Amino acid sequence: MDATPGIPPAVTEETGPFWAAAREGRLVVEQCASCGAESFPPRGICRSCRGRTMVHAEITGRGTVYSLTVNHQRWLPGLQVPYAIVLVEFPGHPGVRVAGRLRGCPPEEAAIGMTVDIGFEPGPGGFAIPSFVAAP
Amino acid sequence: MGTDLLERRAVISGVGQSAIGRRVERSGLQLTLDAVLAAVEDAGLTLDDIDGLAMFPGGGAANLPGYANGNLYEVQDALRITTTWRQGIIEGMALPFYGPAMAVATGQARHVVVWRTVKEGSAARAAGGRPAYGAGKPVAEGPLAWLLPIGMLSPVCQVAPYAARYMHEYGVTREQLAWIPVTQRAHAALNPDAVYRSALTVDDYLAARMISTPMCLYDCDVPADGATAIVVSAAGTAPALRAPVRIEAMAGVVEGRPSWEQWEDMGRVGHGAARAMWARTGLRPGDVDVAQLYDGFTIEAVWWLEAMGFCGTGEAGAFVEGGERIALDGELPLNTWGGQLSGGRLHAAFGHTAEAVRQLRGEAGARQVRGAEVAAVTNVGGLEAGAALLTRWN
Ligand SMILES: [Zn+2]
Repeated sequence: MDATPGIPPAVTEETGPFWAAAREGRLVVEQCASCGAESFPPRGICRSCRGRTMVHAEITGRGTVYSLTVNHQRWLPGLQVPYAIVLVEFPGHPGVRVAGRLRGCPPEEAAIGMTVDIGFEPGPGGFAIPSFVAAP
Repeated sequence: MGTDLLERRAVISGVGQSAIGRRVERSGLQLTLDAVLAAVEDAGLTLDDIDGLAMFPGGGAANLPGYANGNLYEVQDALRITTTWRQGIIEGMALPFYGPAMAVATGQARHVVVWRTVKEGSAARAAGGRPAYGAGKPVAEGPLAWLLPIGMLSPVCQVAPYAARYMHEYGVTREQLAWIPVTQRAHAALNPDAVYRSALTVDDYLAARMISTPMCLYDCDVPADGATAIVVSAAGTAPALRAPVRIEAMAGVVEGRPSWEQWEDMGRVGHGAARAMWARTGLRPGDVDVAQLYDGFTIEAVWWLEAMGFCGTGEAGAFVEGGERIALDGELPLNTWGGQLSGGRLHAAFGHTAEAVRQLRGEAGARQVRGAEVAAVTNVGGLEAGAALLTRWN
C-alpha cells in the first residue's frame, strides 16, 4: 500500500507510545494505574481521577462508527479522493474515541453505527495511521 | 442579576471595516489600519483616546495560510498609542468584545480597539483553492497531530462529522438546511460589502459539489481578505460617544472536551455558553429582534439556533425550512449581512458583532431590520464558545 500523503504528527513524551504501537499494528491508549480508567488522546494524567501514573493498554475489540465524513477535496497534491474518515468508539472503553481512515468498503457505504476492525495503514512521514476496516 | 454585571459597565462604541473581498490588494497591516481608524472615528473618538489594544489571534497562531494578520506590535507602533491594557489571544477569546469589556469594566483601560484581519481569500487563490492546514509547518502539533496525518486537513473535515451526526440523530435533511445559506445570500444581496451577492437557490445548493460530506461548497464560509475593528469603551464615557450599544449579557462557557474530534455529543454544541448567557439577563429568546449567529459552516448556525433556544434541539431544520422565519421580515432575521457564508469569513464573530451594532443603531441600510432593539451574537460553539445579547442604547 502506498503511503497516504498528509502532514506527519509531532511526537511527544505523551504520544510516542501510541505511534510506536501503531507501527506494530496495535491501538494503545493510556490507562490509569490507580482507577483503571482509559484516556485518549494521551495526556499523561487520568481524565477520571487525575492520577499521574499511566500505563498503556491495548484495545483489541471491534469498534463502532460514532460519526464520519467522506472527504472529496484534494487538499494536497497527490491526495487520492474521495476517502472516508471515521470517528470510532469501542464498547467497554468509555472515554476512548479514535479518528482514522476507513477501508474495506467504498467510501459512500460508510455509515454511523457500522462495525469496524482496528487497523493501520502507511501514512505521512513513515508513520502508521489509524485505518479502520469495515467488518464483513 | 442587574446593573452590577461586569458587562453592563462596558459598551461597544465603534465598528469599522476595511475593504472586504475575495482578494484585496493591500497588506494585512494596511487593512488593519483602515479598520481601526474607521472604528475609532465611528465611535466619535480620536486615537489619543485609545488606551487598550487587542487582537485575535495573537502570536503566530494557526497553521492556516492567510489566517493571522495585523500584528499588535506593528499596529501599536504605527498609531503611536500608549496602552494600559493589551491582549493577543489564541485560545479563549469567547467573543471579540469579551476581554476588552472586562478591561474597561475593571478600569484597566477606557477605550479598547480589538481587531481581526484575514488574508485567507488571497491565500486560497495562491493555493489554487481553500488551503489545507500545514502549509506553514512540516509537522502537525498539539490537537492537530490526531487530525492532519489521517487526512482531516481542513476545518471542513473537522466540522463535517458534527453535521453528519446531527442529521443522523434528528432526521434533518440537506434540503432543509439549504435554507440557511440561501436566505443569507438574499441578505448579502442587500449588503454592498458582501463577498457573494448573486442569487442562490436550493437547487443550486443541492447541485453544488461536496467538500466533505454532508457539507457542500455552500455550507462553507467564503475565504476573504479584510479587517474588522471594534471599539469597546467604559460605560461611563457614553456621553462622549457617537452611538454606543449596550452589552446586556455575555458568557464564554466551554463545557465538554475542547477538541474537534473528541466533543462528546456532536448533535448539541454551544448549549453551555447560551445557558450561562441567559442566566445573566431578564430577556428571553422571544425578545431577540435580530440574530448574528456564527456560521463558519451552516451547521454552526444550526448549533446556535438550538443552543440559544430559538428552536428546540433537533428542530432547526423545520425552523429554517422555507426561509420565512429567518428572513429580514421574519421572526428571527439571521445573519443579516450575509454571514460568513456569503459576507466573507471575517472570522471569530467580528463580522457578526459589527453587523449587530449597525442593526441596533439603525445604520444597516437596505438590510435594516425595522425596530431592532435586541441582537444576539454568538461565536464558534465547541472548543471556543461565546454568546451575547447587545441592546440599543435608548
Ligand atoms: Zn484514574
